[in-house]
Amino acid sequence: MAHARPIATTRSATGIPTPRLAVWWILASEVVIFGGLLGAYLMHRLGHPEWAEAASHTQTWIGALNTFVLLTSSFTAVLAHQAAEKGNGKQAAKFLGFTIIGALLFLVIKSYEWTTEILAGYTITANNFWSFYYTAAGLHALHVIAGAIIMGFVAVDAFRGRELHRVEIIGIYWHFVDVVWIFLFPLLYIAK
Amino acid sequence: MSENIHHDDHGHDDHHVNYTKIYLTLLVLFVISVLGPELGIRWVTLITAFGIAIVKARLVVNNFMHLAWEKRIVKWVLATSLILMFLMVAGVAPDVMNHEGNNWENVAAKAEVERGLAYMAGYGGEEEEEGEAEVVVAAGFNAEVSFGQICATCHGAGGAGDGVAGAALDPPPASFTDPAFWETRDRERIKTVIRDGAAAVGGSALMAPWGALYTEEQLDQVTDYVMSFNPGNE
Ligand code: HEC
Repeated sequence: MAHARPIATTRSATGIPTPRLAVWWILASEVVIFGGLLGAYLMHRLGHPEWAEAASHTQTWIGALNTFVLLTSSFTAVLAHQAAEKGNGKQAAKFLGFTIIGALLFLVIKSYEWTTEILAGYTITANNFWSFYYTAAGLHALHVIAGAIIMGFVAVDAFRGRELHRVEIIGIYWHFVDVVWIFLFPLLYIAK
Repeated sequence: MSENIHHDDHGHDDHHVNYTKIYLTLLVLFVISVLGPELGIRWVTLITAFGIAIVKARLVVNNFMHLAWEKRIVKWVLATSLILMFLMVAGVAPDVMNHEGNNWENVAAKAEVERGLAYMAGYGGEEEEEGEAEVVVAAGFNAEVSFGQICATCHGAGGAGDGVAGAALDPPPASFTDPAFWETRDRERIKTVIRDGAAAVGGSALMAPWGALYTEEQLDQVTDYVMSFNPGNE
């Protein structure tokens, strides 16, 4: 029995391919999720001068290193998209592979960072600053993990020359994860 | 224009972005955003850290996510989300960022600020900063204000044991305005309880130790303030 494609994926009232429209909708909801969280953080931070003390203990250079890693992984993700548009699935898979390595590197650095902090007594319950710190960075890290896993599937398909349009879709999501970190970095590390 | 004429469903690769150039620009901006705040000048920090974050985000969104070439409906969907998010933040900002208003006071938040600042003064940071914070706290210290912010939740602003949280406690806090209370208390005991908690004198742990919050001098002032509730003192 041949599987017909669901109608929803074959028609497009907006002129945008359905998967791409779908990922934009996801991101629209992510904007509210991260925006609400970061907005709440910012308001509390401004209302609580004493948070400055807690914030002074975050490790700027580790945050900076991770910013560099994510920016670079975004670059390789867009190169994967470029390769996919040219129909070069193998090359797209290669660049997605680099992006996944970037994601893993990010998580390794983050684990090291959190371990040193937790051992120093800065746990999620230490005070409200650290609660926000772990919640915001943790939610972001979950997005990194999810993105890396999905990218693995997309890369395997792309390597076989299948479903190349998905390379762009996962890329759009990945760039958003990068954008969130672009704001998290100054909020959690730079503003001391 | 041209994208409207042939809106193909697959790629929209008829625009040419030099991704390497965008990436290098992002890296330069990133370096500035790390180094700028090192100068320690407030407005430079704001511009380099947060201003550049916005520029970087725009570069990524427009050139990597190709939002610049995307159909208008996508921009509207995202803009709606952003506006709703800002509305929510703006709506609660006055309540979250202020700790008092015309008819209300956020006692818990004020107490947290006070505790945090006292902690900074006592244990925190580098030498100069410590000195500065201590001066600020000491100059701003007022036993009555401190009692109002920290103790009044349970003990009531007038010390009668009728604070909003007091009624729910078991045992409830005693009334400092009751002469009978003072028959069995002296200054030393009151000071001990405030510093070490009621458990230290065989009382309830609900009355926590507050010693870490105050310097010796401030502890004396708070003790004197509690003593002043004794009607027999007049
Ligand atoms: C969480 C509620 C709570 C807060 C906040 C609180 N207290 Fe108490 N306090 C109590 C309770 C309950 C008792 C009664 C304890 C008992 O009877 O064992 C008490 C007892 C006392 C007593 C009498 C101890 C005695 O001799 O029996 C003093 C004095 C006192 N508190 C001072 C303070 C001061 C000063 C502050 C602020 C720095 C404060 N309390 C904050 C709950 C509180």
